[in-house]
Amino acid sequence: MTKHILHTLILAGLALACTTPMEKDMTPPEILPVGDVASPLNCDVFTPGGVLPFHYLFTDDVALGAFNLEVHSNADHHTHGTEAGECEFEHAHEGLTEKPWVFNKDFAIPAGSTQYEADIQIPIPENIAHGEYHFMIRLTDAAGWQQLRSVGILIDEEE
Amino acid sequence: MIATILAAIMLPQVPDSTQVLGPATIYGESQRQELMHLTLGSVEVGQQYIENHFSGTLMQSLSTIPGVQASAIGSGQSKPAIRGLGFNRIAVVVDGIKHEGQQWGDDHGLEIDQFAIDRIEVVKGPAALMYGSDAIGGVLGIYTNYLPIKPLEGRVHLFGRSNNASAGISTRLQGRKDKLYWRLHLTGTDYADYRVPTDEIEYYSYRIPLKDRNLRNTAGREADASLALGYVGEDFRNDFKISETWSRSGFFANAHGLEVRLSEIDYDASRRDIDLPWQSVSHLTVHNHSHYHGHGFTLDGDLAWQWNHRQERSEPVSHGYMPTPPDDLERVFRKHTLTGKLGGKVDFSPRHQLQTGLDAEFQHNRRGGWGFILPDFETLSGGVFAIDRYSFSPALHVNAGIRYDHVFTAIHGYSDWFTTPDEEGIPRYKVRSGDIRRHFDSVTWSAGIVWSPGRWVLKANVGKGFRVPIAKELGADGVNYHIFRYEKGEPTLDPESSYQVDMGINWLGDRLTLRLDPYWNWFPNYIYLSPGSSYYEGLQLYTYTQAQVMRAGFEAQAVWTISAHWELEARGEYLYARQMSGAKKGYTLPFCPPWRAGAGIQYAFLEDGFAKIDIRIAGAQREIVPPEKPTDGWYTLNLSAGKSFRVGPVLLKTGLQVENLLNRRYYDHTSYYRLINVPEPGINASLMLGLEF
Repeated sequence: MTKHILHTLILAGLALACTTPMEKDMTPPEILPVGDVASPLNCDVFTPGGVLPFHYLFTDDVALGAFNLEVHSNADHHTHGTEAGECEFEHAHEGLTEKPWVFNKDFAIPAGSTQYEADIQIPIPENIAHGEYHFMIRLTDAAGWQQLRSVGILIDEEE
Repeated sequence: MIATILAAIMLPQVPDSTQVLGPATIYGESQRQELMHLTLGSVEVGQQYIENHFSGTLMQSLSTIPGVQASAIGSGQSKPAIRGLGFNRIAVVVDGIKHEGQQWGDDHGLEIDQFAIDRIEVVKGPAALMYGSDAIGGVLGIYTNYLPIKPLEGRVHLFGRSNNASAGISTRLQGRKDKLYWRLHLTGTDYADYRVPTDEIEYYSYRIPLKDRNLRNTAGREADASLALGYVGEDFRNDFKISETWSRSGFFANAHGLEVRLSEIDYDASRRDIDLPWQSVSHLTVHNHSHYHGHGFTLDGDLAWQWNHRQERSEPVSHGYMPTPPDDLERVFRKHTLTGKLGGKVDFSPRHQLQTGLDAEFQHNRRGGWGFILPDFETLSGGVFAIDRYSFSPALHVNAGIRYDHVFTAIHGYSDWFTTPDEEGIPRYKVRSGDIRRHFDSVTWSAGIVWSPGRWVLKANVGKGFRVPIAKELGADGVNYHIFRYEKGEPTLDPESSYQVDMGINWLGDRLTLRLDPYWNWFPNYIYLSPGSSYYEGLQLYTYTQAQVMRAGFEAQAVWTISAHWELEARGEYLYARQMSGAKKGYTLPFCPPWRAGAGIQYAFLEDGFAKIDIRIAGAQREIVPPEKPTDGWYTLNLSAGKSFRVGPVLLKTGLQVENLLNRRYYDHTSYYRLINVPEPGINASLMLGLEF
């Protein structure tokens, strides 16, 4: 009988714990293109020595965390999902003698923000391999949920 | 039956066993004996159960036991979990020796030949007393030490499965002459890519089309062999065994770990080939067990060596600052484990027994390949325990035990083989793991009571378990390419401890048996890999932290024997887990299984024939923690049937199982590939033909 009482107590405790309101962020943040000025978009072409403007809107229902922008060569045609990999560049060629461009930088977002418009000018080095690159946008919220967006871009001389 | 009893006597006994199972005298008595032998919740299944529930992997065969989960890791493998705890939080013990592979890995399976198993005992709860570290969530006790009774006996099993077009053969030959016996097992399996009820997989809005609904490159092969030689005398027995388990299996080609990947390899050329990326594991065990039975006491001694060699190969691809590696050897682990155990039991009176034990274990782990995830380490551990058992009456037993462990871990530093520019832009070989030396002490205990008034069997147990942090948790500092995250270890982690109250409420009627196993569990310092909001080297930073965790739940089962032919069974389980402190306070634990229930009706005919239809239901899991996704509920319909035929001196056995009869598409929240939206296998018919003599 004692065990039955104990068991009832445990179940009651469980029910109580389940109904206790907890403020938990249960959804990942979002990476949104900012109207007409979103950049880069899939299949965009950029030139060595130029500038790659990054312009996206980040939102989260509770609080944003941080973001990371990364560019790496897609010479092996791997893919990270989202949009990258579905873009066919007609005149893509690879400067095999040059080093591929590797860009990888972490950025902070003011603590507690639920919305943040990122506007960053990324300088593109002169002597880098031309060809297909992946532009990765990684965004977290304060709770640790992550959102990814991958954009396929081409680094090439202007025609 | 006699064989089972002999096997049971042979075994190094489990923690709180007070008596060896005897033959059933009245209906329900054997069940009562089985329930009374442990004060912790436990379930025991024999070879017959494994055969009747034959599934792709051992763990899948066991996952119909309430409280036991199989986390599918793709292809023909799955990881065990007990009440939602897996990896290094449960101990898999083979013939009394803790199985040591690379069980920390998300996609590493169990290196055990499921056809060589005679008996399995699942202990649901902290069983540190006998096994020390890791048995914090429970023990999967596997016994392969059957004692042959005839000069020559054996069996051959042929089996096939439709879903992954697998075919296999398992042979067992064994014999006994006077005091000497031998056993030989040989098993071979070959399987193709498995089939899922979907034409494409959608992950991060990227669509991966599947050819003929086959999950690309999940084919595999397995070959196992073991030989045992033994002596059984009046008061001394010795069992010497060598076993080797080998497997090679592909990883799903479109995701390396969890990163979507395209390749030039033509994966769709064959469904049976194993292309990159793949893994292979060889596990060699040499084990000697000695047993001496004196007047009023017994002594047991074990010596074992395990050699686990794992390779993971994938196409070399540059990543971040890592240039394209020279070969496809991404990871290799070589691990030696030496175990020594000494145990004794003294019967002070028929009612009072004291069991003591001393054990030591040495692990030596070396890594290789271009992908770093786990540093080299050595671990030396030793433990000593005593368990006292007292029977006030045949219906009332109590036990209490205490154990002390000391563990020393030495982790070796590791630096990248390539350079990464530091903040000033100077290229450096980054240090991924420092030299770490840690000593851990732990005192664990357990006490329990089992009382059997009339048709009731009531159990209560309270105990403490512990787990020493593994090298990855202490020393990791690098990219986990499996999950594509940056993992940072914490060298100052404490041993994880867990307190658990277990109860068992059983009612054994003539036609109806009811079983309810509630539990409540508290971790003051659960080691949790917490996803943070910051980035490091372009990847989300995950850090090992410790948090208070509360878990509670129950398993329930009812079996109603309607008539001599019909039997109805219903079962269910529920688990609630909450992090009570730390960065993820209020969240659950990773891979927390949803509620599950099942019901089956079985028709028995002609002695041993049976046909059964079973429904398995799982609730939706909305209680998640980053980076998981909510998972919808599901149900599957399953059929099984079996019958044996005696042909002269030979017993012909047949068994048929059809899983997921309706070919429903569903996701298992605890599956590794759930994170990339790979559904569970579709309809799957397994056929087994056995020949026993």
